[in-house]
Amino acid sequence: MKECVSRTELGRMFAEAAQLIRSQNEILSQLDSQCGDGDHGTTMMRAMEILEGAIGSSPNERSLSETLHQAGWSVMGVDGGASSALLGSFIGGMGGTELGGAADCAALAKSLEAGLQSVQKRTKARPGDKTMMDALVPAVEAFGAAAASGKSMSEAMNDAAAAAEAGAASTRNLVARHGRAKYLGDKTLGCPDAGATSMALLFRGFSAALATTKES
Amino acid sequence: MRMKKFLNDPKNVVRELLEGYVLAYPDKVKLSGTGTVVRVAPKASGKVRLVTIGGSGHEPGLSGFVGKGMLDVSVAGEIFAAPGAPKCVDALRDACKGGSSALLIVLNHAGDVLSADISMEMAQREKLPVKIVLTEEDISGPVGDRRGLVGCVAVYKVAGAAAELGASLDECAEIAQRMADNMRTLAVAVRTATHPATGHPIFELGDDEMEIGMGQHGEAGTGRMTLKSADETAKIMLEKLLDDLGAKEGDELLVLLNGAGATTLMELFLIFRRVAQLLEIRKIKLVRSAIGEFITTQEQAGFQMMIARMDPELIRLWDEPADAPFFARP
Repeated sequence: MKECVSRTELGRMFAEAAQLIRSQNEILSQLDSQCGDGDHGTTMMRAMEILEGAIGSSPNERSLSETLHQAGWSVMGVDGGASSALLGSFIGGMGGTELGGAADCAALAKSLEAGLQSVQKRTKARPGDKTMMDALVPAVEAFGAAAASGKSMSEAMNDAAAAAEAGAASTRNLVARHGRAKYLGDKTLGCPDAGATSMALLFRGFSAALATTKES
Repeated sequence: MRMKKFLNDPKNVVRELLEGYVLAYPDKVKLSGTGTVVRVAPKASGKVRLVTIGGSGHEPGLSGFVGKGMLDVSVAGEIFAAPGAPKCVDALRDACKGGSSALLIVLNHAGDVLSADISMEMAQREKLPVKIVLTEEDISGPVGDRRGLVGCVAVYKVAGAAAELGASLDECAEIAQRMADNMRTLAVAVRTATHPATGHPIFELGDDEMEIGMGQHGEAGTGRMTLKSADETAKIMLEKLLDDLGAKEGDELLVLLNGAGATTLMELFLIFRRVAQLLEIRKIKLVRSAIGEFITTQEQAGFQMMIARMDPELIRLWDEPADAPFFARP
């Protein structure tokens, strides 16, 4: 019995993540206002709404790759500055590997890796710079490691979410070295990065969706 | 500081402000799709079109400079947030219709550059004749990683004039780049602004403080000090700018003062007076100037000081006619 993510599960993953980010949007904006202009929650809420809609309404005959690619492009149209452009690059980039109609754990790992690479192509930010990369990079790595060790899809996504959360928490003790916040220097110490926090919520949402849709 | 602004639903603020803007200048500008401002009377086909992209909330920037002799297209994003790549690519495609080419002028901010990079990739894949020039003149950051502030207006002006006169895409890009390379800007803030969507102050500043190096979105700078007089502030800022530009006796400068939104013209004239005096003492020629609100940050108090080393061609292009709603000269 092999676990697979089809368009339906993918839709549920994004719906859960959107719901989670919606419920936390004020906290995200508050974190952002300590280091940025305070609109991260609003931006992410809009971006997730678009993603949820784009994936939920994607026709079943469309491949997962194409669905992700289209959804990425849609979220880039949100006018949300760097956050939505990078989120769009990640989701669209996930469509860069051939997924067909359903993806098993190994295929999803490859897809997440492709998404990460497409973000890395767009930004010079790396882990340690106090950005979304501090959560995204460990999450994708943890998923890959779990998939390689034969863990189930839901276990792998739980590992990814935990790694993203640990990464986001670690940004509290980092000084921003990228994006608008870097101009604040040491003043960014003490509060976690809003972008990393929303990436952790994204993966926690994915994980929650997969935990409740175990293959029968 | 509690927000006190005349708003409707904050979600609609960008759409509503752009609608109001084009209704106010119906003979000059119109909307193309959502959030893209274009000229009512387009340039003759074949001439280079100038396209810029950037967040809203900085009115009259950037769409206020769409007009004859300046920009052809301004793609507006949400408040303080870059427009998405799909809209920017559409704008480039439209600009290149009818055998024209396009010069994309982008202020160096993470989101704008991301959208611009993605758009340029798409444009190149489609073999559109497009070039890009980045403005990055804020000296509060290290070289190679500087923000684009009000200097973009000077770039729009000279490259726009060149395009109007029939210069090629390469020539327009060279002029834009030359202007960009020779300008320096520094910002100062004395009071914060509130974000129209969240209602929260975008930074905190003590009652008796000022901050030099403030970003266009109220990102805090690094030079916080007690509030100084107009003369002292002008001197501190001008000296940093001249030093960074390496200006010397005999150089010819354009000086532009840009009010942040809540600083009075009275204060800007006091600042400008001192700038002119100091330049005279140093035997640096003040050849052109502009004072006003070009790119604001809501009701933030403060200003940006921009200086640029001009050459005869840049001066000639600066003097060419322009007819944008917020930048006109006969």
